[in-house]
Amino acid sequence: MVDQASTQANIKVYGADWCADCIRAKDILATHGVEYEYLDTDHSENHDAMLALTDGKDEIPTLVFPDGKVVQNPDNAKLNSLLGLKPVTSVNFHDLIIIGAGPAALSAAIYTTREDIDTLLFERGVIGGLAAVTDMIDNYPGFAQGIEGLTLADNLREQAERFGAVIELGEVTKIINEGEFKRVETTSGDMRARAILIATGSDYKKIGVPGELEYYARGVHYCATCDGAFYRDKRLVVVGGGNSAVQEAMFLTRFAAHIDLLVRSTIKASEVLQHDLQKHVDAGKITVHLGTQTNEIVGEDKKVTKVIGTNTKTGETIDFPTDGVFVFVGLSPNSQFLVKSEIKLDEIGFILTDQHLQTQMPGVFAAGDIRSGATMQIASATGEGATAALKIREFLEGYPHPVQN
Amino acid sequence: MAKNITIFTTNTCAYCVMVKKWLTSKGHAYEEVNLDTNPERQAEAMQLSGAMTVPVTVVTKNDDTQEVIVGFNLAKLAPAVA
Repeated sequence: MVDQASTQANIKVYGADWCADCIRAKDILATHGVEYEYLDTDHSENHDAMLALTDGKDEIPTLVFPDGKVVQNPDNAKLNSLLGLKPVTSVNFHDLIIIGAGPAALSAAIYTTREDIDTLLFERGVIGGLAAVTDMIDNYPGFAQGIEGLTLADNLREQAERFGAVIELGEVTKIINEGEFKRVETTSGDMRARAILIATGSDYKKIGVPGELEYYARGVHYCATCDGAFYRDKRLVVVGGGNSAVQEAMFLTRFAAHIDLLVRSTIKASEVLQHDLQKHVDAGKITVHLGTQTNEIVGEDKKVTKVIGTNTKTGETIDFPTDGVFVFVGLSPNSQFLVKSEIKLDEIGFILTDQHLQTQMPGVFAAGDIRSGATMQIASATGEGATAALKIREFLEGYPHPVQN
Repeated sequence: MAKNITIFTTNTCAYCVMVKKWLTSKGHAYEEVNLDTNPERQAEAMQLSGAMTVPVTVVTKNDDTQEVIVGFNLAKLAPAVA
């Protein structure tokens, strides 16, 4: 399991007996049989010697490596990598690593595993992604009566796993171009793959108003299927006017006594959803407030009590007394981990790809909600996943792009 | 190993599925309290977590200390049951 540990003798560890991170670092060294010299910084001569090495930066543990490299308080992954303590089995090399396990990722995996392309998926949240947290999906083809998001997610997972896809629960933090193999840094250690598919999708956006952060999960929510049950017979405000806002507002009527739907301009949801919404309006369960800007979420004693809005035409301020707020005002890309990479993003943070769904880094592809220009539909995501899988196969087989059809 | 694990869930919550799936994959047994079928235990979940959300996972360790994990948060869940 350990390769180069024996070459790393004479590491110096400056630390103190009371310092938890020092104990952690020493534990890692000891566990792997790495020799080290411990210098207690509670003795001033050791402390002074350390500060001389760190330009006065006072942080422990400070590790000094035989080659003179000085590192302060590395996390476990960093320390392991500094020590060369990587498992050297071939298990960490894959044909394809897919980042994400939503509809685009799982569809791609169904295709690649059927082609015997060794495929590992990473999921940091929910298998099935946003589709899994959606109550009911009525526009995904092939399910005449609609399908519950959780069921669709589970079916996709089962189908991909049937052909050999492996889903690892963890997060990818970085992609590094090392030529034939791309290295990905993950919470399960470093992995390498010939090709990578980024299918990290999107997440519900915050409104960005006072009170939103303060009452997060304590009155302000972004997942109706998770948190709706806490509002049995209560009053709710739902913010947004797209498909998600309307769909989730209707879902919430099974709990809430009444819902105020605050829509900044006009309803953008599909005609069918608007028709369904009207039934809830007629039944007195939902009141729609068009042209209403959400300005502030106000609470007392750690509980939300009202939302303050403005009528965008008259400028009139309106209070909406409520017990909670659900926010569905659009989607933001899960691309934070790419911000400093050579993979190009558009101005909002979605990934730019060519007509082969390939990003600026050769061998790295993107599909689904995360791709710039995506239509944020599950049917599109699964389609793009399949397309990406075929393009990845071409890439792995060494076809130069563009491939002539 | 944890002495006891209790998860507060609802029928529709995907993150609850993930917590249960992960615990099962690591060989941990748990007790599930479904708040859709046991709404009277909602206040208990809120008091433990300080939040109006599920999943709430309560890990009782061998020394009888408790750790409460809100949401599907592997960074907290994994060390809590280790």
